[in-house]
Amino acid sequence: MAIRDDASGEERQHLLAMMGSAPGAVLEIGCGSGRLTAKYVALSARLVGVDLPTALPAGGNPAFPPQSYIAAASAVALPLPRAVFDLAIFAHSL
Amino acid sequence: MVHALDEAHRTLEPGAALIDLRPTACNRRVEIVSAGLRHVIGEIDSSKALPSYAAAEATVLAALAARQFRLEERAAFEQVIELDSPADLREYAAGLRRSRMPAQILPRAERMLARDPSASIELRRATTITRYRKLPAS
Repeated sequence: MAIRDDASGEERQHLLAMMGSAPGAVLEIGCGSGRLTAKYVALSARLVGVDLPTALPAGGNPAFPPQSYIAAASAVALPLPRAVFDLAIFAHSL
Repeated sequence: MVHALDEAHRTLEPGAALIDLRPTACNRRVEIVSAGLRHVIGEIDSSKALPSYAAAEATVLAALAARQFRLEERAAFEQVIELDSPADLREYAAGLRRSRMPAQILPRAERMLARDPSASIELRRATTITRYRKLPAS
């Protein structure tokens, strides 16, 4: 028994093409359990994930590397400074 | 009212990019793939989510009108979830918010997989990915 996400690989392929080769500091808004994060994490030098406390896994987001930062916050009140990210990603979260 | 794109705009460097990945269809098409052929057996109804889709689109259009971002590139594709068994389908559908799987879909899937145990189940939904570029404050 199995459920395979993005079985065609198209989601990952399009995401990586849109991101480019060196996206720099990435902010993922609505990171949830890290379903999308796992597809691009190897590209990102610095990664911050944000989601509502109820959407974050209790044991942390396994897709995020140890040096990354995850904030439990609303997308309309980000606890983050001005002008620090090179890329923001909304994945099913607008 | 502050919305999520205002906050994203604030935290992005000048000229930085924003990627928006989201479905353009509410419903997921349920297909059985057997002997290289696709058989559509119904749709998981997520039409209750339609107002939130419309709100997301309105938010983006407002940000473009306010010249916070400009549209740079867009691609469309089908997001595909592959499932091995009707039990997987039941489990997956049960985990979807604001969605309802019509009663006839599961028995259809069971009948078709009983006839061809090598068949698989696919859920497909139209999706777009768009890259925007942050514009300087005017």
